[in-house]
Amino acid sequence: MSMQNPLARVRGKGSSGGGVHHWRSQRYSSLVLLLTTAWLLWLGVSLAGADYATASAAMSSPVNAGMAILMAGAIFYHTQLGLQVVIEDYVHIAALEFALLIFVRFACLIAFLISAIAALKLVVGA
Amino acid sequence: MAIGKRPVVVPISNVNITKGLKPQTMSTSKRPISPYMLGPYYKFQITSALSILNRLTGVFMSVVTAPLLLCWLIALASGEGKYNALSAWLGSGLGKLVIAASVFSFSFHLFGGIRHLIWDAGWMMEMPQVKASGWLAVIGSVLLSLIVLGAGL
Repeated sequence: MSMQNPLARVRGKGSSGGGVHHWRSQRYSSLVLLLTTAWLLWLGVSLAGADYATASAAMSSPVNAGMAILMAGAIFYHTQLGLQVVIEDYVHIAALEFALLIFVRFACLIAFLISAIAALKLVVGA
Repeated sequence: MAIGKRPVVVPISNVNITKGLKPQTMSTSKRPISPYMLGPYYKFQITSALSILNRLTGVFMSVVTAPLLLCWLIALASGEGKYNALSAWLGSGLGKLVIAASVFSFSFHLFGGIRHLIWDAGWMMEMPQVKASGWLAVIGSVLLSLIVLGAGL
């Protein structure tokens, strides 16, 4: 039974009903990031100050390319979920909130696509 | 009604039966209207401080660190010229500051996230444990940052 006024429901007030999915998605993506953290730190330390030849040779490895794509997916998904909560908490102008939520979704999706294409280009050696 | 030690008499004409004090009588006290957890109004607590820091580091990485990693991949895939330009910027003072802030944010958010996952499993939720794990997260993230930055330099 809904305690909500039908008009409020039409206006989109109240719970979206997607909280549990959001919560679980944030945890699952955090687990992926937790497991891939060691790889990112190792890559960052080993390629700190590296020249172009060294860095492109490292990223031509299929293992590094796969890890980069996996991690980019987890990073930008987790980023989208986290920024969504911050926007929902602090932006109270409905139109601006909606615009920012859509922008963050598209920006994170595009960032993941570009990461994946760049990593693939590096491994194929185009 | 008392402000400090001095009792203040509020004229009856300033009291609205349904809404309490009229706004002008409240203007002398600039107190926050809700528990505002920054500044001198609120007692420092490791729990709230780390909660805010976890969110701040997350936003910082969303706005700076993740786009920087993306730029690194794009530059590397775009060729030697772009890669060298980004490398030169990363070696500058501002670049080093951004890297240091990113490494610290990453380390802190990592330990903050581990704390959340432990709580989600229902463990370590007593206040002494929460405070202890908070300080462990602070120490751990500083140490991890120093190790990573030290190894990368």
